[in-house]
Amino acid sequence: MERDLKSVRNIGISAHIDSGKTTLTERILFYTDRIHKINEVRGKDGTGAIMDSMELEKERGITIASAATYCRWRNHDINIIDTPGHVDFTVEVERSLRVLDGVILILCSVSGVQSQSITVDQQMKRYEVPCMAFINKCDRSGANPFKVIEQLKEKLGHNAVPMQIPIGLEQDHEGVIDLVKMKAYYFEGDNGEKVVVKDIPENLAEEALKVREDMLDKVSEFSDELTDAILEEQEISEELLMHAIRQGTLERKLTPVFLGSAYKNKAVQPAMDAVIDYLPSPVDIDNEAININNNEETVILKSEFDFPTVALAFKLDDGQYGQLTYVRVYQGCITKGNIIINTRTGKKIRPGRLIRMHSSEMEEVEEIPAGHIGAMFGVDCVSGDTFTAPDINYTMLAMHVMEPVISLSLKPVDNKSEIAMSKALNRFTKEDPTFKTHVDQETGETIIQGMGELHLDVYVERMRREYNANVEIGKPRVAYRETITRKADFNYTHKKQTGGAGQYGRIAGFIEPCDEDFEFNNKITGGKIPTQYIPSCEKGFQNCMEKGPKLEFPVTGIKITIQDGAYHSVDSSEMAFVAAARGAFLEAYNKAKPVIKEPIMKVVIETPNEFQGACMGLINQRRGIIEGSQEEGVMSVIEATVPLSDMFGFSTVLRSGTQGKAQFTMEFSSYKKVPQSIAEEIFKKKQEEKTNSKK
Amino acid sequence: MLKQDLINRSPVCKILNPDTISQVKFGAVLSRAGVGKTQFLVQIALTRLLNNEKTIHVSLSDSMEKINLRYMDSFNKLVDSIGYVDPQKAKRLWEDINRLKLGIAYNEASFDPKKITDYLNSFKKNSNELPSILVIDGLNFDNDLSDLLAQLEKISDTFNISIWFSMKTHREESLCADGYPKQFENVKDRFEKALFLNPKDDKIEAMVLKNGEDADRKYLLDPATMMPE
Repeated sequence: MERDLKSVRNIGISAHIDSGKTTLTERILFYTDRIHKINEVRGKDGTGAIMDSMELEKERGITIASAATYCRWRNHDINIIDTPGHVDFTVEVERSLRVLDGVILILCSVSGVQSQSITVDQQMKRYEVPCMAFINKCDRSGANPFKVIEQLKEKLGHNAVPMQIPIGLEQDHEGVIDLVKMKAYYFEGDNGEKVVVKDIPENLAEEALKVREDMLDKVSEFSDELTDAILEEQEISEELLMHAIRQGTLERKLTPVFLGSAYKNKAVQPAMDAVIDYLPSPVDIDNEAININNNEETVILKSEFDFPTVALAFKLDDGQYGQLTYVRVYQGCITKGNIIINTRTGKKIRPGRLIRMHSSEMEEVEEIPAGHIGAMFGVDCVSGDTFTAPDINYTMLAMHVMEPVISLSLKPVDNKSEIAMSKALNRFTKEDPTFKTHVDQETGETIIQGMGELHLDVYVERMRREYNANVEIGKPRVAYRETITRKADFNYTHKKQTGGAGQYGRIAGFIEPCDEDFEFNNKITGGKIPTQYIPSCEKGFQNCMEKGPKLEFPVTGIKITIQDGAYHSVDSSEMAFVAAARGAFLEAYNKAKPVIKEPIMKVVIETPNEFQGACMGLINQRRGIIEGSQEEGVMSVIEATVPLSDMFGFSTVLRSGTQGKAQFTMEFSSYKKVPQSIAEEIFKKKQEEKTNSKK
Repeated sequence: MLKQDLINRSPVCKILNPDTISQVKFGAVLSRAGVGKTQFLVQIALTRLLNNEKTIHVSLSDSMEKINLRYMDSFNKLVDSIGYVDPQKAKRLWEDINRLKLGIAYNEASFDPKKITDYLNSFKKNSNELPSILVIDGLNFDNDLSDLLAQLEKISDTFNISIWFSMKTHREESLCADGYPKQFENVKDRFEKALFLNPKDDKIEAMVLKNGEDADRKYLLDPATMMPE
């Protein structure tokens, strides 16, 4: 692997669904000789693109799990993570962004900045990942890259600066004019592999000069030398200009914009040059870890090979040779046979096989040095674990993980399926922190939880295909919550005297609504409740939050203040105060006007204009609130918030209502109080379920 | 309580009788560019939202975000005008009324009443309460809009919805004989309420062109808040 880290790029390719991420990756792999034949995403040849290595991905034409691959371009190692475009799989995108140094944000030159691009952009901001934009599909009818650049500025707030202008658009799209080199680039040969550089065509010379002028103006902010050169009207060297663009990109204050058509093999190579020229190498990025042994102090990691190793497991895969753990090494080196420690478990690991992935094919390596992405075989861990050298105890910063909002019950049809299901669930929960599973103690059913219908749907399918687990699935269930709406007092005495040691504890105080999930406030003075029993009080209250007294949904948003109490020198115990807290909670809960909350989803529909009214109607039918609707060319974007419980089966309804021409994305927005009529329905259903389970 | 206070503070309450705003078929706010037509239309819609009525705001020039911002800004100004209000209370009220409002941004060329009809039909189909007022901001009344207005009149009848328009006048044009701007003169018979905003020194003069017996009344407004003096 490349030892000069300035010659390494770890990049992601992120965008809205169907913007051409996988197609672009395929072209990159072709031009870098990693593959020798181009397959299409929904391949007519039945092969499917290389990056979509899972069978299900090939079938649906979507990318579900990030496949990692590497290639070499201009003597640089480029590690590429292909990321999913569906919001349901956003945790994959987030995990990728955590380990990447730079991103190519792909936008469609017709559809422009779409909802998922906005989500991905927010994630990039959270992890401070520098990016460049590639406006794809310039060959499509209605292509307008300049409109997309405006949207990048207005909708995403990027300082988007075009580095190229197109030579023709739609069916006349032939190539691009490079505004740094001021040359025209054409792409010839069967697969556009032959890059032909010519002078700028006369009819585009004026436009090229004008756009370059604007570009110089914006880029000069990042280099005094460039500003001086412009002011003194000196000739501006390519190196000077490229240095300034790189500087702006690394500071995340500039987004260089490139264009082309991956599908028509136009202008992919200049975009790859831009990855080398403008996106950061591992040494350009500061990565942080937490030193557990030193008061959890933040430590800046150094991309040095001889420093103690620090690596992060960001993705797991179950291959034919066992678990494959994808890692990014931030410091030091993971070497075959050398001991590393899993910080979470404290277990020693001696990696036996290290590999570098090329989608589903692999290449064995001796070491994975700092700054690189690779994979280890046979290491037992979960996604997000940190591996370090034995002499340090660091953990990488926790990844932002969302709570699941939907659940589904599973029932294996036979014993064999039960074993297979258990294996599959064990694997999936390790791979995906937003996918959770548990057994319902009352019904004995296995419950899986995730971020949306499609999210769970894909895991059920994978269970069937990859593990031969034949399972019956129940109806999707919404993760309701309970909360209180007003302050209520409690003053409860737990007293038991039934022979033997007695139990005594009194707690008084109040509960009130708050923004946090749970807050405990101890205002006991004068030792009315001895200090050693305070944690028991907190524990008692916290236990009550797991299952609400109203409808047995988890309780959130409660602040508990204890301000008085009493104890008995002989009969008080930790157990007595846990019980007293439970009694106090139940006493106050009903007085505090409990309500049920439901997850509300932010839904964005993109539809041809003629179906705008119909689509808004569909939202109306689902207790949705339309926040607004905007026409953008031939398409309309409708933004709404809709309760998750009303979104089941929406994709089918939307398809049939718009002749399959509309698409939508959905992501969790917030929890909101359920209207009374719906709350009554939920109550009824819950009662029925209880009665049925008793039978 | 806060709702009623805000309705009472609204310039709409002083100038046009707010109870009858959603009872007319067509209403209009006229002025030349930049005087405050849209801002006043938003105030009209706000009084309806505060009365728990649904509203639709169609703009042919503003983006969806801008429409939403205009409402939030006007609401905040109204809240500020009554002195101290518990911010939490104001926030909750905003969340309540914001759910009743729908902003739609159209390109002028593609604006088609059929889309509005489709949408309103979905309310009927689902037995949902219909919006009481539809604001259309940005139609060019220099053009002949007879066909379009006839279609919108039909919508108003079918769905019992009051439609309020902004109407841009021009500085250089003199008023017609009966004191109406040219753009309004051509369509005046269709309208039951109309207000003409005109800059006067550092204030805005609001002249009621049509409002039953209250026509021809004049008020001076603060340009920043649109509040009457």
